[in-house]
Amino acid sequence: MKITVKLIGPLIYSAGFSEKDFNLTGPVSAEDLLVRFNIGKNRPTIITRNGKAVTPADPLKDGDRVVISPIYSGG
Amino acid sequence: MKGWTGNILRVNLTDKTYKKESFNEEFATNWIGGRGFAVKILYDELKPGIDPLGPENKLVVALGPISGIPAPNTGKAVVAAKSPLTGFYGDGNLGTKAAEQLRKAGYDAMIVEGRADKPTMLYIEDDKVEFLSAEEVWGKGTYATNDWIYAKYGKGAGVLNIGQGGENMVRYAVIRSMEGRAGGRPGIGAVMGSKLLKAIVVKGTKSIPQANPEAMKALGIGDLKKVYEMDKKSGWTKQSTNAVLAWCNEVAGLPVQNFRKTSHSEAWKIDGERLNDARVATYGCPNCTMKCGITIHDKEGHESELDYENVGLLGSNLNIFELSQVGSLNYLCDEYGLDTMSAGCVLSFYADAIEHGAVKGDFKFGDAERAKELLRMAAHREGKVGNLLAEGSLRMAKEFGHNSEAYAMQVKGLEVAAYNCKFIPGQALSFGVAAIGAHHREAWIISFELKNTTRESFGPEKAAKVIELQRIRGGMFETLVACRFPWIEEGWSLENYPKYFNTVTGLNWTLDDMWKVADRIYAMIKLHYIREFPEATRKSDYPPAVWFDKSNADTEGPIAGKCLDIDKYDQLLQHYYDQRGYDKRGIPTKSLLGRLGLSKEADGAEKYAKLS
Repeated sequence: MKITVKLIGPLIYSAGFSEKDFNLTGPVSAEDLLVRFNIGKNRPTIITRNGKAVTPADPLKDGDRVVISPIYSGG
Repeated sequence: MKGWTGNILRVNLTDKTYKKESFNEEFATNWIGGRGFAVKILYDELKPGIDPLGPENKLVVALGPISGIPAPNTGKAVVAAKSPLTGFYGDGNLGTKAAEQLRKAGYDAMIVEGRADKPTMLYIEDDKVEFLSAEEVWGKGTYATNDWIYAKYGKGAGVLNIGQGGENMVRYAVIRSMEGRAGGRPGIGAVMGSKLLKAIVVKGTKSIPQANPEAMKALGIGDLKKVYEMDKKSGWTKQSTNAVLAWCNEVAGLPVQNFRKTSHSEAWKIDGERLNDARVATYGCPNCTMKCGITIHDKEGHESELDYENVGLLGSNLNIFELSQVGSLNYLCDEYGLDTMSAGCVLSFYADAIEHGAVKGDFKFGDAERAKELLRMAAHREGKVGNLLAEGSLRMAKEFGHNSEAYAMQVKGLEVAAYNCKFIPGQALSFGVAAIGAHHREAWIISFELKNTTRESFGPEKAAKVIELQRIRGGMFETLVACRFPWIEEGWSLENYPKYFNTVTGLNWTLDDMWKVADRIYAMIKLHYIREFPEATRKSDYPPAVWFDKSNADTEGPIAGKCLDIDKYDQLLQHYYDQRGYDKRGIPTKSLLGRLGLSKEADGAEKYAKLS
């Protein structure tokens, strides 16, 4: 299945990309993406799928747009 | 009493006098400093109903017990007065060398009274105050004024100054200090201007009194290094606050076209990545090791320091997606000494009102060149349009009529920050009940709300979170006075702050003690409000009406067809009042005021509004 991953802020520099499409096989959760991109070890993150928050264990579906962001406080 | 100098400098511009006054430990521990001092001083000294732009108003610059002491991130000052924008207590904080210098001069706060007979600069050096002419720089912007001051006193001096916006009493004029730093959104710069006070310059040579100076030195400097290392690891300052723009765009929270829309396909052009790519310099406040001021060259080649609020409100909210043009608008606000956030909302409201036929005009969304011209006109109150724009969006709406107040993006007169709450109930509540109007610094709960609660919920958990954050952000950080970023952006523990407080004061406080002072401050600001607006109802704690308007709902995306439900919002507001101990009008009860040690103030407030 095709998943678009969009990273926010400093996660871009640690993962080496800002937005990318991935063709993944089998059941995949948001948590799998965190492991795959080595994200979230240093600070809490918020994950949204198609603009809505999900838990790391939620399974992803073909065509999903997943956004992973650190938790921010704003300006 | 250790940790405080115990002194307040009182300056009268009318008769060019000054004196040092002392305060006692009860005042210090009831109010800590910063916002706490300002709230109490202005409540005691201002008569309700005075003209905020008249000589009766007072400007307070207030510091906290850790201000100016090397520790994370203590280089800030609170500036406060009766607001010409909202008509009651208003304040803000800004990074400035004046924080350290004023404390080294021997003061925890200063009060400026009266009105000078000509443009004036105050020069404070320890126990001496000089009233100097500022006629040479009257009419000049904040950059030129700073250069003029630095040429006289060197770059180490603490500076607070205003631009043309303050001079011309634009109701959202701010005070500026150094590169990129500004504070006092509700028109505190206009109060300076009304007093013909162009600048305050401070130099101090004394030691800041501390209970355990050696222990504080080791603790503070060690912790500055730790925060620096945390930031290096997290990479937060790569994009600083503007990283949030891309996220808001993804979750339908970005202000676009006067908050009519919540995302835009071109938002990426002004996001944190592009900002970092365009960076030419980085600035920050004193005593900061995670400097957030990403600076770019604007369209005309000036250095312009951008953060998320600037970019959201002068960029996407105006449908301007060219970063250098956003930089230009931001530079002009800084030069004129205008609040970038209110300026962005004022311009977007003007374009929206023209588009909806509420007023005739020639400004359209996306027109950056005309926006620059309008900022200049507002700052100089040039012509009918300039004068109108200088008044802020609420007064503009009252002038326009045609139900335009519904989409004037403000609460209590203060324009909202760059979070589109069309369907973010908790964040909408935080704007509604922010102490001084729709400020973002007190309770920013969007990411908590989306991650830890159901977005659709209007439940008590959201009210509880708003109160928790108000205590931390609007209370503790504003009284100590310190920047919240090490805590919220890098995970620096909150427990460090009572530790700093205890080390400098010799006291033994916990976070709970801090929260009690915070609650006292929030109650006191409500008393400020009701003595100015005794007929106020809970409606004053509502966010802009357009967020409740179904016809304004998004047509696509994650919140398609949704908007805030007014009955549910009212229920959420009631949760907030119940948890705070306020009555149905949103006014603290007598019993709460008694528990907070404000019985005397409660009795005084009853002259204006009956308390429950």
